[in-house]
Amino acid sequence: MKVVASMRGRSRLMLIAAMGVAALTASACSSNTSSPAASGTATHAPSGSATSGNITWWASPITTTSPDPRTVLISAFEKAYPNIHVNLQSAPTDTDTNRASLITTISGGATSPDVFMGDVIWPAQFGHSGLAQPLSSYFPSSYWNSFAPGLVQGATYKGQVYGAPFFEDQGFLYYRKDLLAKEHMAVPTTWPQLETEAAALVHKGVVKYGYVWQGASYEGLTCNFMEYLGSAGGTALNSGLTQATLNSPAGLEAANFMHSLITSGATPGAVTTFQEAQSMSAFATGQAAFLRNWDYGWSYSQTASSPSSVVGKVGVTPLPSFPGQASPGTSNIGGWNLYINPHSKNIAADVTFIKWMTSPAAQTILGTQFSEIPTVQSVRQSAAVKAKNPVLAIVGDTRLIPRPAQTPAYAKVSQAIYTNINSMLAGSASPSSALSAASSQINSAVGSSSGL
Amino acid sequence: MSTPSVAPAPGGGVDVSGPGEPSTPRRHDVFRRQQARLGWGLSAPALILIAAVTLFPIGYAIAMSVSNVSATGSGFSLSGLTGSNYSIMFHAPQWRYALFFTIFYTVVTVAVEVALGTAVALVLERLTVGRGWMMALLLIPWSLITVVNATLWAYIYNPTYGVLDTIFSHIGLGSPVILGTRVPAIIALMVADIWKTTPFVAIIVLAGLVMIPRDYYEAAEVDGASGWTAFWRITFPLLRPTIALAVLFRVLQAFGLFDLPFVLTQGGPGYSTQPLAILAYNAMFRDLDFGPGAAVATSTALLVVIGCLVFLKVFRAQAGTEV
Repeated sequence: MKVVASMRGRSRLMLIAAMGVAALTASACSSNTSSPAASGTATHAPSGSATSGNITWWASPITTTSPDPRTVLISAFEKAYPNIHVNLQSAPTDTDTNRASLITTISGGATSPDVFMGDVIWPAQFGHSGLAQPLSSYFPSSYWNSFAPGLVQGATYKGQVYGAPFFEDQGFLYYRKDLLAKEHMAVPTTWPQLETEAAALVHKGVVKYGYVWQGASYEGLTCNFMEYLGSAGGTALNSGLTQATLNSPAGLEAANFMHSLITSGATPGAVTTFQEAQSMSAFATGQAAFLRNWDYGWSYSQTASSPSSVVGKVGVTPLPSFPGQASPGTSNIGGWNLYINPHSKNIAADVTFIKWMTSPAAQTILGTQFSEIPTVQSVRQSAAVKAKNPVLAIVGDTRLIPRPAQTPAYAKVSQAIYTNINSMLAGSASPSSALSAASSQINSAVGSSSGL
Repeated sequence: MSTPSVAPAPGGGVDVSGPGEPSTPRRHDVFRRQQARLGWGLSAPALILIAAVTLFPIGYAIAMSVSNVSATGSGFSLSGLTGSNYSIMFHAPQWRYALFFTIFYTVVTVAVEVALGTAVALVLERLTVGRGWMMALLLIPWSLITVVNATLWAYIYNPTYGVLDTIFSHIGLGSPVILGTRVPAIIALMVADIWKTTPFVAIIVLAGLVMIPRDYYEAAEVDGASGWTAFWRITFPLLRPTIALAVLFRVLQAFGLFDLPFVLTQGGPGYSTQPLAILAYNAMFRDLDFGPGAAVATSTALLVVIGCLVFLKVFRAQAGTEV
């Protein structure tokens, strides 16, 4: 009997212990949702004056080359601020995966990473949900005025700047100098001219593909579409961000042109599956005469170690426009900002880090060593940066257009654009029906707080 | 969850009563209950851990699907009890299409995989030489991670330098854009899935085949039954429980289809290869629409559970009590 009694006592003890564990687990789970927020109201720290501390910087790889620009920048920063230690946390290369990881991390209340490198289209979404610290109060207005026009505006949501422009990117037209010279063709300045030349080169058998760009069902197609739309003088959203405006004569001109690129043979049908990598490899292996791509298209096509047969044969120019419209055509703004996690324990050091990363010293490293487009206007226009390569030399000649990313529903707006335009390119919808479908999906996205 | 292994099996309890005391059934019962309680107590930490990592998220997802959820810098805030997430879902054409696509995809791929897998298992069973090698070879597609598989298939389907593109252009069929056109893209996904998963079905069915006693076939042969009759009258009925198991596993997996279209098509062209799982993922982690996203996830789980229960019921009714 004694044994039994002690057994009963022990099992009761076990139960109590188990309940204790359960209570602990439950409280650990709920602490995420009940902890007081550090976001919203800015805890005013001295702007960029901290000289010590440890911070974690979350950034995806900037280039695939060696040395890694992130570590080069970090060691230069640590030389300037020996008592601030920066720990690099490498983020996923896929932008959507990168964003999903950040959203779950920050909304879970994590204090790390302190500073994260995020896409230029994130400020509204992150600002709206309190996932990024408002930065306006940490920097004087002279700081914000040092950036190239449009970049700070793109990082602003409801009067607050959420991201410091780190490096910029935009669309360029790359072309094969040798093929154009051989066929006595001029570098195209209008879209119809590009189409005619590209189709002629294909029909003559000079090259396999005429003009390649990004037509897959993803964010990159929205960038491409915005360039045609902007060149035709159209916009995607009204200024109040409440109504789609792309179903317009300009929108139709853009969509019709994209459609005719495929039907005329200037662009292969395969473009409906092309992201940057596919279009880049078609051009770099000599299969295409024209390419729309970002800033890295130059260095990629001119690097001897890449599987390239076009070294020395490539030219670059701003994107063409439509006849009767302003020239050159519009280039879509891409690139990355630096944001602060609102839960960061060391915002003063974060600000110091961001301030240095957007200083002429860091921006010159990005431009002259890694061919990234600096965001600081003076560095962009400096002779050292312009002399680096032909792409950086013509940055000042391009006409920039932002994506309609000032609404927190931008991801859905973009999806409405790229899925419908992709369907149209694949031949499942006409240009006008694709535009009206995109338009109604955008209206329901910006009109309701949530949806699918 | 199974009952804790510490609890003694019926009749297997240790008799702790002294030699002078006769043990009665009553005392046994009391002791067994106490033992069981100890068992539960000992396994409680493990059970609580499992609950924390599975039941809690499931419960949280269900709670999210019926609340107004917003992601804030300080975590998710859930407020109110609402049906609006489900209402948004039911009214979204993307959801209706994703539901149709997921069901259609599941039915077609599972049917083909079961038919092919059974055929492969029948061949494997008759193989005397090299069966081990064949099985190892067959298991390669199954053992590769789906994302790796999908990347390999992306090279095959690539419209500029892909294997299929080269074959098609050599036999004069031009350059079809497989992943960029609706019907070919759906078929391409199904082919990749079937290639990967048929061996899994084959292995399960083979295990069932090996269990069928040889004498049944000998008796059938004595009675003059043809191979075909023997298959339909002996092999197939006895394989039913095994096939049911394979179908269940496959339906559960196919309904959660995510990685293949995520790598190969990103749901395109348009929305035509977007399954429920990608729809829910995009709603939650791209658009921060956690409520509607949770509604999609919860309803998908509910649908697959109901589907499996109905399937089991029908199968059990047909196959007697063997399942």
